[in-house]
Amino acid sequence: MIEIKDLTKKFGKTTVLDGISLSVKKGDRIALIGQNGAGKTTLIRTILGQYLFDGELTVFDKNPRRHRVEILERIGYVPQLPPPIQMNVGELVKFSAAISRKSSTDAIHQQAAELGLDIGKNVKKPFQKLSGGMKQKLLIALALAGQPDILIMDEPAANLDPEARQAFFLQLIRSMEQTTMLLSSHRVDEISNLINRIVEIDYGRVVQDDPISQSRFGDKSLVCRVILTEDHEPAIRMLKDWNFEGTNGGLEFEGHFIGTERLRFLTSISRFANHIQKLNIS
Amino acid sequence: MNTFFQVALADFRESVRAKWFLIYCLVFGGAVVLLFVLGVTESRVMGFTGLSRLLITYIQLCVAILPILILISTVRSVVGDRESNILEYFLSMPISLTAYFWGKILSRFFLIFVPISAALLGAIGWGMVKSLAIPWQIAGYYAILLGTLSWCFLGLGMFISTLVKKQEWGLGLSILIWLVLLLFIDVILIGLMLQQQIEESVIVAVSLLNPIMVFRTGAVLLFDPELTSMGPASYVILDHMGYAGFLTFTILYPLFLGWLFSWIGFYRFKKGDLV
Repeated sequence: MIEIKDLTKKFGKTTVLDGISLSVKKGDRIALIGQNGAGKTTLIRTILGQYLFDGELTVFDKNPRRHRVEILERIGYVPQLPPPIQMNVGELVKFSAAISRKSSTDAIHQQAAELGLDIGKNVKKPFQKLSGGMKQKLLIALALAGQPDILIMDEPAANLDPEARQAFFLQLIRSMEQTTMLLSSHRVDEISNLINRIVEIDYGRVVQDDPISQSRFGDKSLVCRVILTEDHEPAIRMLKDWNFEGTNGGLEFEGHFIGTERLRFLTSISRFANHIQKLNIS
Repeated sequence: MNTFFQVALADFRESVRAKWFLIYCLVFGGAVVLLFVLGVTESRVMGFTGLSRLLITYIQLCVAILPILILISTVRSVVGDRESNILEYFLSMPISLTAYFWGKILSRFFLIFVPISAALLGAIGWGMVKSLAIPWQIAGYYAILLGTLSWCFLGLGMFISTLVKKQEWGLGLSILIWLVLLLFIDVILIGLMLQQQIEESVIVAVSLLNPIMVFRTGAVLLFDPELTSMGPASYVILDHMGYAGFLTFTILYPLFLGWLFSWIGFYRFKKGDLV
């Protein structure tokens, strides 16, 4: 679907992408990782046809600069930071539905509802006035409603609360069979259950390109019990943020999350390892 | 075509909410109201009175401030979208570059032209209420002149917007260009050039190249066919082109210039990095 050979991108004298070669096949779900400034966003923008480049790059066997519109009809994109669009929500939804052939306002409403965003209630609200999480949910809904063959997302869940994050990952899991994904992220733990390949970029070069085995827990709901050693306020706050509830009064808590969130939960709770007496996930 | 109109509509919706548009409407709507309040229609200067007097004052005001207002509001369109990442997001959608660029121009033209022509219509409407004689021919010609001037500076603004990497540079360049064009109207620099006995053809060329000068001379020509109220370069131009020839030139030249700058801007936009 995407073929990249010796791709180089320079801004003035600075080489941002330095001879990258990469082949993305149908069904690949790639985590594009790397530090800030590694070249992830530049690579994404080049694939989207926004930059000139040296080397070879084809998307659906076409040059992304010469066949931008045809290619973008089949790509859904979610930026890291929501742009400061002045239109209200209803106008933006109509605009997006009118631009993309496969999208519709109904599909956008439905996708947004699954992420926990009621567009109907916010239709007159300026996009700018939505909270960070709501903006991100709407942008994700706009991208998913177009039924893209390739979904490209730059830190897609960065602004989402735990509940929306779960809904978002579930939606992604559902579309796994049909959609090829390219997810840029600083944190591979967050998306580890979604992906089947990791590509790491450093100083504009691919330094790691490995397949990873898919987790069997991906879309399963996991029950988790935590018993704390003491009444530790930050640990309790963290558990409550994850919608855990106290059982048996005091130090025992129970909650649930989907498999894709397992690593993220463990990363969060690992900070309080000294205050955990028992932890069970089933 | 659908995408083109969708982009134009989206840009229109974005812009009418922007502060510059509110200020723009207030300036031109307020100008006409102010001219009535100040009793310009009752005053008489060099033979102009009534609504004609108001229209010529309004048009002189437009000569001075319309270009800079258009430039300031337009130079930010592409470079502003680029800086705020709106361009990155919109161009990740299946929108052709032609639809994006020309859709934006169409929307901006309406946004610029509608308030100034509405102010002109408002003045005529008020004149009718006050039973003033309506100079229809002049009003019609002025509406066309305002349209071509808007188009000219809109094209220039879009060109600058594709040229610069930062909004501040665009604004700075706009102000510089506006000042240079103002300096080269005949009362200031061209007068000085004549005084220094610079060759006549150079003076005429400089005058004819300057859209503000062309617009200003054309605006006055209808009231003052001999250009008695204008500077020395205007006489030379009138001698060279004649009355009808110059009136035609004042409409066609800014139109051509607007197209030229728009096309160069579009070419630059299309051929470079988009974001």
